[in-house]
Amino acid sequence: MNTTRRGILAGAALLAPWQAMGFEREGGRKVLVFSGNQAVPVLDPHVRYDWSTRMIQQGVYDALLKYVGDPPRIVPWLAERYEASADGLTYTFHLAANATFHNGDAVDAEAVRFSFERGLKLNAGIAWMLKDFLKPEKIVAVDARTVRFTLERPFAPFISYVPWWYIVNPKQVLANVSEGDYGRKWLTENAAGSGPFKLRRFDGNSLIHMDTHAAYWKGWPMGEANRLAGAIFRIVREAAPRRAGLQRREIDVITNMSPDDMEQLAKLPGIRNEDHAGFTTFGIKFNCQTGPTADVNLRKAIAHAMDYDALIAIHNGGARLMDSPFPPGMESHISVPGIPRKDLDKAKQYLARSRFPNGDIELEYVHVQGLEDPRRIGLALLDSLRPLNIRLNIVGQPWTTMVARGSKAETAPNMTSVYVTPVGTDPDTVAYQYHRESWGLYYGMSHYENPEVWRMIGEARGMVDKPARLAMYAEIQRRIVADQPEIFGMIPNRTWAMRDYVKGFQFSPIRFTGEVDLYPMWIEA
Amino acid sequence: MMGRRTRLALWQLRRSFSSMLGLGLVAGIVLLALLGPWIVPYPDDVAGAVNISGKLKPPSATHWFGTDEVGNDILTRVIIGARLSLLVGVGITLAAACIGVPLGILAGTAGGVVREAVMRVTDLFLSVPGLVLAIALVAALGPGIVNAMVALVLVWWPGYVRLAEAKALSLREEPFIEAARVAGASRFRILWRHVLPNSLSPIIVKMSMDVGQAILAVASLGFLGLGAKPPTPEWGAMISIARGYLPDWWWYAICPGAFIYASVLGFNLLGDGLRDILDPRSNRG
Amino acid sequence: MIAAYVARRLALAGVMLFGLVCLTFVIANVAPSDPAALAAGPDAGRSQIEQARRDYGLDKPLHEQFLRYVGDLAQGEFGRSVATGRSVGRDLARYFPATLELCLVAMSIGLVVGIPLGMLSALFKDRWLDHVTRIFAVSGIALPPFWFGLLLQLGFATWLGWLPTSGRLGVATEPPEPITGMLLLDSLLRGDAALFWESAGYIILPALVLSLPCLASILRVNRSEMVECLRADYITAARAHGTVPWRLVAVHALKNAMLPTLAIIGLRWGWMMSSTVLVETVFDWPGTGLYAVSSAIAGDFKPVMGVTLIVGLNFMLANLVVDLLYGVLDPRLRDA
Repeated sequence: MNTTRRGILAGAALLAPWQAMGFEREGGRKVLVFSGNQAVPVLDPHVRYDWSTRMIQQGVYDALLKYVGDPPRIVPWLAERYEASADGLTYTFHLAANATFHNGDAVDAEAVRFSFERGLKLNAGIAWMLKDFLKPEKIVAVDARTVRFTLERPFAPFISYVPWWYIVNPKQVLANVSEGDYGRKWLTENAAGSGPFKLRRFDGNSLIHMDTHAAYWKGWPMGEANRLAGAIFRIVREAAPRRAGLQRREIDVITNMSPDDMEQLAKLPGIRNEDHAGFTTFGIKFNCQTGPTADVNLRKAIAHAMDYDALIAIHNGGARLMDSPFPPGMESHISVPGIPRKDLDKAKQYLARSRFPNGDIELEYVHVQGLEDPRRIGLALLDSLRPLNIRLNIVGQPWTTMVARGSKAETAPNMTSVYVTPVGTDPDTVAYQYHRESWGLYYGMSHYENPEVWRMIGEARGMVDKPARLAMYAEIQRRIVADQPEIFGMIPNRTWAMRDYVKGFQFSPIRFTGEVDLYPMWIEA
Repeated sequence: MMGRRTRLALWQLRRSFSSMLGLGLVAGIVLLALLGPWIVPYPDDVAGAVNISGKLKPPSATHWFGTDEVGNDILTRVIIGARLSLLVGVGITLAAACIGVPLGILAGTAGGVVREAVMRVTDLFLSVPGLVLAIALVAALGPGIVNAMVALVLVWWPGYVRLAEAKALSLREEPFIEAARVAGASRFRILWRHVLPNSLSPIIVKMSMDVGQAILAVASLGFLGLGAKPPTPEWGAMISIARGYLPDWWWYAICPGAFIYASVLGFNLLGDGLRDILDPRSNRG
Repeated sequence: MIAAYVARRLALAGVMLFGLVCLTFVIANVAPSDPAALAAGPDAGRSQIEQARRDYGLDKPLHEQFLRYVGDLAQGEFGRSVATGRSVGRDLARYFPATLELCLVAMSIGLVVGIPLGMLSALFKDRWLDHVTRIFAVSGIALPPFWFGLLLQLGFATWLGWLPTSGRLGVATEPPEPITGMLLLDSLLRGDAALFWESAGYIILPALVLSLPCLASILRVNRSEMVECLRADYITAARAHGTVPWRLVAVHALKNAMLPTLAIIGLRWGWMMSSTVLVETVFDWPGTGLYAVSSAIAGDFKPVMGVTLIVGLNFMLANLVVDLLYGVLDPRLRDA
């Protein structure tokens, strides 16, 4: 029997109207209510991911490995252990013996093989991570508990992507295939996983209700007594009702709040803010091939004119400046010396060396339509460029238009502001954005050209010798900064506000904005 | 010496409280638009000066309506915003009338296939949700005041076709048109000298009303994030941003909205008043 | 004869709808954009983008895409959203009841407030009540709905705390499985009084804002009809004696005002549906308006096209129904 909070409210109002409402209960257990602004249109783990989607996916599914902690570590999950061959080509995973899907089927090697095959063949969502290095035929179920992957060529980031390949139950998927779609239609709103939560109600636009799986094969870290009854993800588009819900204890955790809102929330009793440095970088990509910004001196002039303090101030201090193309915390990250900071004299010197010594040009700054922070950063940039006599045309465009324009150097805007969240901890995830192969893609709109850097990036992703690889990436970072293909901006903090009775929150920067791992969380009262 | 008719009209206008209110509001907005740059306290704030440390200040003696999210004076931006809104409102209305009225008169006088074709296309545009269509168009083309104007003109002109057609149709049978035709006046001359001037009153009334509605429509697009590019001050866009700062910084949203309301109200009341004078027969309520 | 008229009007509406389909298709393709990239996601490589292009049929030439879209429409399919991969038809089925509910409530407010206020205003013609209502009537179309909505939220939700700010139900309330999708109706059908009052609390502010332009028009029409009625000789005479048959006058005025009021409902219905894009955005009301706006801003045009068609259809149907009712109710037209 589901006791709704409304019922409790009615009862509480009769007995003690002044008593604040508590968390939701179900039987003797509590239900955690989490609220954010982003819907979960498609739950299929091989078709789509974004922060809200992946949070639910991580709840209902397991992968071979899992990311935890800050800095992020990869820990064994469905796989107890794995071995990599010395040549970096073969990876062998040994599965946990007791892992079962929600319907009781064992999570066996065939399920793993099937899931990777499905991910690769659908060629959507996560497929890009491994598509070029792994062929479906090269995944072999050696025995019920052993899977072997043989890569086409060495690919060092392989392990860093495995945690995002969730394992589905092939029997359930195959029983629900319609018109040869690999179960795609069915998995859009249903789950076939082995994760800590079972899907109870899925209404991707407003509410997702999950029950804890009492018999979860991995057990529960907070102990059986404290295990939740379940978790509810409530999609509330506007910030004000989310905040009001938290204050009234109707919601236990909220995210997607503005820095100004977070500041106000911090003052309230019974509410705790979690504020952590994330992995998402904000940069302003120059068009390095066409137009005025093809001139490296102009790029450097602009980068030295930028008011970096404003980037921090816009976030009320909740952001850090980038000191490298890589976010801190990523393997091999170095703080690159001489990365531009505001210095008008230097900016003017660079400008004098450029093809536009007197400025007098207008540049276009494009951001994704409807995003508030990039618009304000555009305003700050506009103000910063005034001393150089450079005018800025701030344009918001739909994502689709921006990407279409960026696909060719001839049409790419002079400057495009982009957020990039690395999906893995491996430096290649970020470095490859600067490779020739990324030209014209969302993160490659700068059309950055430096054959030597390209060669190093290509080589580093296949390197097995770790120290040599790290040294290579240090050099790559220095060279990219020297070429200034973008204004290296800032890394905004990730923030959540929650009731202080919420326990077990664990931050990991590798997760997306707003995304939390619900598994270790519980409510103490 | 004023003509009798003009004096009568002025007397009528003066007698009506609401018309005078409308006239006053419109005059006020026009005045602000003309004098804007010389009377605002912080002229730099409209060109994109950024002063983050002074952001979101409540109303005070130095900033009567407070400051916005980048520390700009809200009053300054709202006053300068009057220029854009007025220009855009008048521009859209004129453009729509310039397209719609000739087409309408053509349809009304020509008849036959031409009329059928013009009116069916008009009906199509009249039967579509104008705002939705404008949103789609601006979203596709990318926000910007010019795109917003193009989109709104596209959904605005059919109203004028309808009006002009109806008027021309009713004039067609009038004796003086008949007479002109018999006297051998060219078709163009009839249209230009007789039909157009006689259809003018309802068109002027509609235009006066429409300036207000066009201001509102542009502000609506701005509110949805599809208006003027920053840092250009635009009322709707200001409200859109201010909305993110409700309820703690509520004063930010008040001022731009009040200006939209005042100017749209002004043009509507003025239009009402003009209708009483110019087009008394159509005065229903 | 009526049947033939209806058939002709329906055929015409069909042609118009086709025109609307063409128009929206042109708009959706007027600017350079790459929906496949949106479908594939920000991290996708070329292979995945091309895959998405094939999956969504975006690799076909435009005229083929158009024919396919028209074919889909004929089968009641509205295509798939590139941003979410979901069927637009299913999304519309989900969002439209919310919008319909909002518009119905708004229209009711317009009638219930507009008619009596118009009559009162006529009774007190040129007195302060009349002036106030006239200003109010003009304000109905002059108030920016998005701003007025924010003001109401501030006043009634934030400061007074009487009503909720936005949304359709409280965050603590689990939305019930839809029957009609209209919460007020569903809660009545289920006999769930608590749910009924809760959803009523959520709908009142957005419906009020949405109703204003319509309310203003209804008010004006009823005022002027009432003024006409009061001008009749026998009323003037009766007034002079101080014995006015008020009920008679009211009934007479109501009768006269019925047709123009009906016309306004027909005219404003489509308009109202169109302005839901603003009101739903302000109040976070999960209807077709909000769906259209958020999709348009993301550059996802299939939903926008779907909403335009649905709203266009409403426009046309409302006009048709009003025309037919006119025929039934107005003896002059019926005899003609």
